[in-house]
Amino acid sequence: MDQKNAGLNISIFFCQQIDPNQDVNRRALERELGNRIRFFPLPCSGRIDSLHLMRALESGADKVYVITCPEGACHYREGNMRARKRVAYTQGLIEEIGLEGERLELIMAPAGLPVNIDELARDLLSREATTGPSPVRGKTA
Amino acid sequence: MITAERKPISEIKEMIAPYKKILVVGCGSCVAECASGGEKEVGLLASALRMDSKASGKDVEIKEMTLDRQCVYEFIDQLTDVVDQYDVILSLGCGAGVQAVAEVFPKVHIVPALNTTFIGQTKEAGLWIENCRGCGDCKLGFFAAVCPVTRCAKGLFNGPCGGSKTDRCEVDPDVPCAWQLIVSRLEDMGRLDLLCKVHPPADWSKQQGKGPRKIYREDQRS
Amino acid sequence: MTESRLKKVLQSGNFAVTAECGPPKGADPEVIKSKGKILKDYVDSVNVTDNQTGVVRLCSLAACALLKAEGLDPVLQMVTRDRNRIALQSDVLGASALGIRNILCLSGDHQSFGNQPQAKGVFDIDSIQFVQTVRTMRDAGEVIGGDKLTEPPHLFIGAAANPFADPFKYRAARLATKVDAGAEFIQTQCIYNLDRFKQWMDLVRDSGLDSKVYILGGITPLKSARMAEYMAKNVAGMDVPEEIINRMKSVPAKEQRQEGVKIAVETVQALQAIKGVHGVHIMAIEWEDVVQQIVQEAKLFPRPQV
Repeated sequence: MDQKNAGLNISIFFCQQIDPNQDVNRRALERELGNRIRFFPLPCSGRIDSLHLMRALESGADKVYVITCPEGACHYREGNMRARKRVAYTQGLIEEIGLEGERLELIMAPAGLPVNIDELARDLLSREATTGPSPVRGKTA
Repeated sequence: MITAERKPISEIKEMIAPYKKILVVGCGSCVAECASGGEKEVGLLASALRMDSKASGKDVEIKEMTLDRQCVYEFIDQLTDVVDQYDVILSLGCGAGVQAVAEVFPKVHIVPALNTTFIGQTKEAGLWIENCRGCGDCKLGFFAAVCPVTRCAKGLFNGPCGGSKTDRCEVDPDVPCAWQLIVSRLEDMGRLDLLCKVHPPADWSKQQGKGPRKIYREDQRS
Repeated sequence: MTESRLKKVLQSGNFAVTAECGPPKGADPEVIKSKGKILKDYVDSVNVTDNQTGVVRLCSLAACALLKAEGLDPVLQMVTRDRNRIALQSDVLGASALGIRNILCLSGDHQSFGNQPQAKGVFDIDSIQFVQTVRTMRDAGEVIGGDKLTEPPHLFIGAAANPFADPFKYRAARLATKVDAGAEFIQTQCIYNLDRFKQWMDLVRDSGLDSKVYILGGITPLKSARMAEYMAKNVAGMDVPEEIINRMKSVPAKEQRQEGVKIAVETVQALQAIKGVHGVHIMAIEWEDVVQQIVQEAKLFPRPQV
């Protein structure tokens, strides 16, 4: 079943350079899904910190995406590479408490920016859900 | 600084398993510098432990706090007003910090979240290397500030050994031969004369063998 | 009281021959005795290695005592990796009491290479400090710290040198330090690169060291081309030139041992012609019988009467 219909909570951290109109473009999905979807724009994906990802999971996200600019296209040169390392580190950390590492996923935006964040997010939502609701949600899911 | 690394979470979980109210305490000094026990790391660990508790249906309270240092009474004292609210302190201090806190609050159970490792430097972001063994008898002046006790695998004072080739240590090719470094630096400084005489055996009693060492300064006592 | 045969041979101006004997990984004394018998008339003295590469073997001190009883002149190799200064000085006294008259002071291969990698490497003192210690015990009758001995040890003191390790320029200076510390003879790492060895000897002679210390060039006969390649790649501080490896490879496998012996004999003969080289040290571990062939073919048999 795809993620949208599986009723999962999705958090999306993304680099603002991907869609300069993101504050407008994301409203449709926010209206549709309410607090089941949360968008976190960043000045650069390299600003992502493991702590942000942990807090997102702790507050009930079942799946967390980090969307970076394509390889070689980072406005700040290495931000997307740093994001990759931090996502990897956090995956290791959550695996230590028995959560699937794939609850965190790094996505590179397609080449040829800008891209509409709404399109990007809908594409992610239409993907097959590989993990169910997070056990962190507790018994009251 | 003193470096440390976080213990595996499975090990930490075992230590805090009997408790319901846990205070995770970090330290803003050495362990913050080596990204193992500072405020951020406290946040990461506490978050992970809270999620783990929730996922296993356990009702556990896990709170966070970070002291500037865990090895000095003036800072440890900040815990005094809150320590009674918890069953256990999960300390992200180095071994010195954990024990210092335990001395101030002997009735409170304190467990270490870190494995304290070595005295070293931040060589690059994300890379820490041991460079001092606290031998109590610093000879860096004779060896171009390259410590043979720490950086030579055999601790030679009259090195190099016969296994040194292409400036790598025979024990670990990732480690430069300390003696190659010492010789080339002394040569650059024009001080190879420092290696002419046989450097005598060290006084190891200054480093170990008599239990915990101490420093006492009458002029610093209140 | 017996004297060191090695010392007598060297002092009388003869080209000395020493060999190495590897003790067994077990408690059987017969292994040592039979190796001793093989080597006896072909060499002046026999080194016994001390837990080489950090692998536990019958200790050098006991093996030397066994060889002494067989009529050989043993060289006690002692590393500082396994014993602190108390044990080292004590063993030095014990060796002398057992009639052992030669000691080779070494730091030792690091413990991580052997079968006890979790052992604590002692390294209380290093090889040069150890040379100085033995010298002081012998000539001043004192241990470290100045306490007097009732009877000094009687030992001919040696150290090792590696002409092939880096930094090359500094190696002669390091040899000078060893000689100042009290080294009376030197056995070098095994030589395959004669040119580099000759360059080292140039440095040694330029520093006047050839008249202060007896240098014995090390030889290890190659058993196969694979051994040559292995040593070139895996053994720290070793220099095996391409020409040697190729020479070994150019010969069919069955004949490689003899080629290795040929190279060894040629090297011995070359050493005899180098000014400042006073002998050869043949390290044929687990191939002790080849020593007889090498010594004979290099025309160094029989050994001189001293």
